[in-house]
Amino acid sequence: MITLKNIEKVYQTKTIETVALHNVNLHIPQGEFVSIMGPSGCGKSTLLNIMGLLDEPTDGLVEIAGTPIGRYKDKELAQLRNQKIGFVFQSYHLINDLSVLDNVELPLLYRNGVSAAETRRLALTALEKVGLSARTKHYPSQLSGGQRQRVAIARALIGQPEIILADEPTGNLDSVMGEEIMNILLQLNKTDGTTIVMVTHDENMAHKTERLIRFFDGQQVSDAKTNAYEFQKV
Amino acid sequence: MIRHLFKLIWNRKRSNFLLMTEIFFCFLVLFAVLSLVVYNVRNYNKPLGFEHEHVWLLTMRPDTDSTSLNRQTLEQILQRAKGFQEIESVALTSSNAPFAFSQMSNNITYGQKKVEANQYEVQDDFDMVMRVKVSKGRWFGPADNASHHDPIVINQALKQQLFGEEEAVGKLIPLNDSTNYQVVGVTDYFRAGSEFEAEQPSFFSRINLQEDPNAFWNEVLIRVKPGMGVAFEEKMVKEFAGTAKGWAMEVATLEKMRQNKAKMAKVPLIALGIICGFLIFNVALGLFGVLWYNISRRNSEIGLRRALGASSGQVYRQFIGEVLVLATFGLLLGVAFAVQFPLLQVFQVESGVYFIALGIAVATIYLLVVGCAFYPSRQAAAIHPAMALHEE
Ligand SMILES: Nc1ncnc2c1ncn2[C@@H]1O[C@H](COP(=O)(O)OP(=O)(O)OP(=O)(O)O)[C@@H](O)[C@H]1O
Ligand SMILES: [Mg+2]
Repeated sequence: MITLKNIEKVYQTKTIETVALHNVNLHIPQGEFVSIMGPSGCGKSTLLNIMGLLDEPTDGLVEIAGTPIGRYKDKELAQLRNQKIGFVFQSYHLINDLSVLDNVELPLLYRNGVSAAETRRLALTALEKVGLSARTKHYPSQLSGGQRQRVAIARALIGQPEIILADEPTGNLDSVMGEEIMNILLQLNKTDGTTIVMVTHDENMAHKTERLIRFFDGQQVSDAKTNAYEFQKV
Repeated sequence: MIRHLFKLIWNRKRSNFLLMTEIFFCFLVLFAVLSLVVYNVRNYNKPLGFEHEHVWLLTMRPDTDSTSLNRQTLEQILQRAKGFQEIESVALTSSNAPFAFSQMSNNITYGQKKVEANQYEVQDDFDMVMRVKVSKGRWFGPADNASHHDPIVINQALKQQLFGEEEAVGKLIPLNDSTNYQVVGVTDYFRAGSEFEAEQPSFFSRINLQEDPNAFWNEVLIRVKPGMGVAFEEKMVKEFAGTAKGWAMEVATLEKMRQNKAKMAKVPLIALGIICGFLIFNVALGLFGVLWYNISRRNSEIGLRRALGASSGQVYRQFIGEVLVLATFGLLLGVAFAVQFPLLQVFQVESGVYFIALGIAVATIYLLVVGCAFYPSRQAAAIHPAMALHEE
């Protein structure tokens, strides 16, 4: 589903040059739930941005859902993101002036040929999946952190993407709420077969996923199946 | 997408309130100034109903009050004037000659209708001097000496207000207990005040020197042959002065008088235009600043939209679209206000003037906001999505 080959990412500013990723090679098959761990500043977000086509690697190859990403135009990349990828962020990134329902509908606004009625229906279904059917008319400021993150997940899955990229989705939440979010993601992976890549600082969370990749200083240092994987497959 | 933008702006109406009010007031001022401009331009483009080139206005001031003597001299001057090769025709006029800063009006009553109309007292040859076109009936002349009534010629505007579609020629209008005006002719368009004024109801009454041996008029309109200039003016005044010793005489061309009147009309327009320009400039600056600030504040929203599948072109169009929607809210209010003028007929101005001004004002505001949003929106579209999401 996601293949990275010899990825290099160097941030060049006037004064300093930061190597954020060095020689990253990864293959994530369809339907896998992968977690990525590593100390702050080791390049996790950078990696996710590259997978999410929000950023270009300085060097190397990216292949998403069987499509090699070459010299794509901005418009084509936007369409690929819209159709193949859902994003979940640590700070939710909801638009405060839009209701829960309107926030969830956002991705379909950028997809051609989906009627307003269909969009509404899909948004309600997505909210149902995250257990927020009762909060559709609320505004983000009226919700708890966990609820906000559930709205963000509903937004990520409304377009039925093959991949969800989650950057510390439980980072701002207490353990109970974090648990809730984690369960939703696990459910999504299991029932819809969505490929999920999740960055986390929480070992417990990471061990609930199938595979754990550790990064240090822009490089992969370990890549292994977790016990959870063994459990599930037995 | 449009629905989305309306929702977004509506939900942000609190923070956008100031901008909308600014647009609202800017629109109103623009509408007012444009109404005035359109009114003036429309008038300017209408016919005057006379030809003022090669017409001079001679103003005479006798040195004594002895009327009978002055009358004799006046008639001699008229006689001399007619004797000049260079002069085509002359006619005495009341002081409200075309483009003069003087007005004279009278109430004209017909049946239930009462209209305040400009009155021009002129001699029989006025139609030749000013080349006034009579479209119905005829101009007055010596043939009217025998009439029991005082002949008048009215313009279209007066005809419409008094008689509507009825035939006007032959109608009697009571002047006082013993005399009636009789309409003998109707002119086309006629307006003598200024090129920028609308046509007002007007009529011409006849100066009949025989009838009143003591009456005196100070002003003569003189149509000279084309090409007559200062040299002839000097020659003419010298000869008149020989006849009328001690009289003060002054000659002005109607062209010069037209220019003076035009200046009078233009000065307030230009002043208003400058004020309006400053206002618009201010609003534009404010708008630009607010948009610029908003976009830097909305970095993470931009990043998010890009992540969800918006291309940079779509971000650009969204921001342009937002100001258009914002302007639309301000304009809706403004237009609701502005249409009261034609609907309630606050001033006696054709509705068309308001609608043209309204159209131009709306278009100008839209252009203005798009102009102001252009650069900030391009900046917004150029924001790198990964960077925008990173900041927080
Ligand atoms: N836009 C940028 N310009 C310059 N350097 C950057 C930029 N973005 C990230 N970096 C650098 O790249 C490195 C990796 O950053 P990244 O955000 O990927 O770390 P991270 O692993 O996500 O950290 P955290 O766990 O704190 O989120 C860091 O050293 C960071 O300073
Ligand atoms: Mg990070």
